[in-house]
Amino acid sequence: MEILKYADEHRKFRKQLRTFLEKEVTPYVEEWEKTGVVPKAVWRRMGEAGFLCTDVPEEYGGMGRDFLYSVIVTEELANTYHTGLAAPLHSDIVVPYITSFGSEELKRKYLPGCVSGEIVTAIAMTEPNIGSDLASMSTTAVEDGDHVIINGEKTYISNGINCDLLVLAAKDPCVEDSYRAIDLYLVEAGTKGFEKSKRLSKMGWHSQDTAELLFKDCTVPKTNRLGPKGGGFLMLMEKLQQERLMCAVMAVVVAEKMLDTTIRFCQGQSDFGRPLSKFQHNQFRIVDMATEVRLGRTFLDKLIADHMEGKGIVVEASMAKYWTTEMASRVADGCMDLYGSYGCLEEYPIARAWRDVRVMSIFAGTNEIMRGIAAKFMGL
Amino acid sequence: MDFNLTKEQSDIQKAAQEFARGEFDPDQILEYDRNQEFPRALLKKAGNLGFLGVHYPEAYGGQDLGLFDNGLITEAFCRQDSGVGTSVALSDFGSEIILDYGTEDQKIRVLPSLAVGENVLTTALLEDGYSLAPLKTTAVTGGDGYRIDGHKAFVPLGEFARHMIVLCQGSDHDPYAQSAFLLEMPTSGIGMTTMGQKMGMRMLPVSNVVLTDVQVPLESLIGLENRAHEALRAFLDKARIEAGAMGVGIAQGALDRALDYSKRREQFGRAIVAFDAIRNKLADMCMDVEMARLIVYKAAWSVDRGKPDSRFILMSKAVGVSTAIGTANDALQIHGGYGYMTEGQIEHFYRDAKALGLFLEPGQRQKNLLADEIIGRK
Repeated sequence: MEILKYADEHRKFRKQLRTFLEKEVTPYVEEWEKTGVVPKAVWRRMGEAGFLCTDVPEEYGGMGRDFLYSVIVTEELANTYHTGLAAPLHSDIVVPYITSFGSEELKRKYLPGCVSGEIVTAIAMTEPNIGSDLASMSTTAVEDGDHVIINGEKTYISNGINCDLLVLAAKDPCVEDSYRAIDLYLVEAGTKGFEKSKRLSKMGWHSQDTAELLFKDCTVPKTNRLGPKGGGFLMLMEKLQQERLMCAVMAVVVAEKMLDTTIRFCQGQSDFGRPLSKFQHNQFRIVDMATEVRLGRTFLDKLIADHMEGKGIVVEASMAKYWTTEMASRVADGCMDLYGSYGCLEEYPIARAWRDVRVMSIFAGTNEIMRGIAAKFMGL
Repeated sequence: MDFNLTKEQSDIQKAAQEFARGEFDPDQILEYDRNQEFPRALLKKAGNLGFLGVHYPEAYGGQDLGLFDNGLITEAFCRQDSGVGTSVALSDFGSEIILDYGTEDQKIRVLPSLAVGENVLTTALLEDGYSLAPLKTTAVTGGDGYRIDGHKAFVPLGEFARHMIVLCQGSDHDPYAQSAFLLEMPTSGIGMTTMGQKMGMRMLPVSNVVLTDVQVPLESLIGLENRAHEALRAFLDKARIEAGAMGVGIAQGALDRALDYSKRREQFGRAIVAFDAIRNKLADMCMDVEMARLIVYKAAWSVDRGKPDSRFILMSKAVGVSTAIGTANDALQIHGGYGYMTEGQIEHFYRDAKALGLFLEPGQRQKNLLADEIIGRK
């Protein structure tokens, strides 16, 4: 019995998306990996074709579809062996803050653009000195009449260069309780005082425009705040469950993909006169990896089902995030070993995948933080 | 039994560490890595100061020291930087074949210029897999020399090498009947093309080498005709020790950086080095580095005293490399987001460690050979 109930509509959607990606994305991946950014036009084509923010209600331009559509988009994007077109980040991590917590006015103003791809979004939490310890952030948002004035610095922001709209976490210095001091604000690109200061060079995710963002007396209307005053930390906590789950989706599907590719390589490549897949040692390694991938898939599908039923899965999502991302790293490592010297060549997609998966154990809350959350919620 | 370095050895180690700290410029290193550029200037500086080929006899520009001493320098360089260290250490790839089997003339021609960092030597070994017997590249006797035809892959620094050793099959009847030749570059009939971008050890570009009707004179033969497989095996042993030393250096460098960073980085109101999970990780890393170092040192020591310990030699690369990968991986994790950024430096240690594991032969190959040793089939 399948854990996830994919209907014909889902399958049709997957097929359309796959065709779209083969035509509009895959042929350009090498180029984007070099330029370090995906052209905005591609985001718009994704949107026009109906592949962004599938869950946004129809009244705001979306299709109000279930979470399985998000899963499908994430899975199919992983097949393109690149990370620049970070649609899952936009659709399933950032925009839901607006959908869930935005005022009616903000929703009407921004959601249709998010769906159409006219607006690319990013979320800014991390700062140069603040990663895991969110409550200690130093970016400030000071109320001044109908406005707030933002000052500070954010870093490692995915979609940082492309973003038209930012969900920004900042602190009201007048509030003493550091948890209650955090609010989320929408900041449009081009707002005076908001500067995309630097694109960051990294080990992998070369097509992804990760950036540093700078705020100097950046003024936005007070009405750009999401949710009630002082509610930022709680909103983050609520939405991080889905973010972690999305990481697990990415990790499992990329592990599946790497393993598939590697098995085909091992069947085609001979050494000492026989295919690599015929050596017992290699077979056992492949089976070990396949077992881990299946375990990850089963755990993940169960969590997706629970998440769709609205169950609280804080502990499980944290477990899944750390375990599946580390599993993907183990699989990447094992696949590289099977490729041998060839794995070292960027010409083989496994080399890029190996570089790309490593960050998953760090972003969206390091795996140490995931273990800490699980420990806390398990009452340890 | 004595686990201490001699006074001379610890002086060499200190000098190599100081040289690396002083000369390896972090920003320049990122440029080398980004551009996939061999750090020629650093090779020359290291050569001028006597850090290269210290295990060659003085007559050939060396210092009459051992493989152990050479390994200490490699370790020190890799500790400071994984990319510079590995590429400098592999700039004389194959010199031990000349050293142990070459003619007087070959030694004089090749070794002194390697020891001063003037030239680069490479060896064309691998073809389309890891099988080294039989080889598909052939050497046929004819007239007053040999004709070589074939295709070699993953030749390190092929484009920079002044000299290249080519391993060839000499006879169809015996897979081990192989001959080695010393070629001066450029030689007509040799086509060299880059194998492109690499994910790690990027300062050490690798080439495809196509040999078509390459005519070489008799005196380019290294050692005896059809007896080079033995030389190859002896060389691979030394290369495994060298790779082990690189691994230990990379691992130690990663540990140094993890320690330094975790003392400086504060989260939740204290330095992260105060957290149990980080402390335990650091302790594990330290244990691994010291275990690997003991094995690599013993392997090198056994060669220098004239009683090569095959088991330790085979363990050397496997343990050195797996320790480098594991330690660099942990160090990257400790660095968090900064660890994934190019400017954090540690990410290239991790890439270089993994690339070292894939270089020349995968770990599985050494384990198979080690199993042969343990089981006693050979």
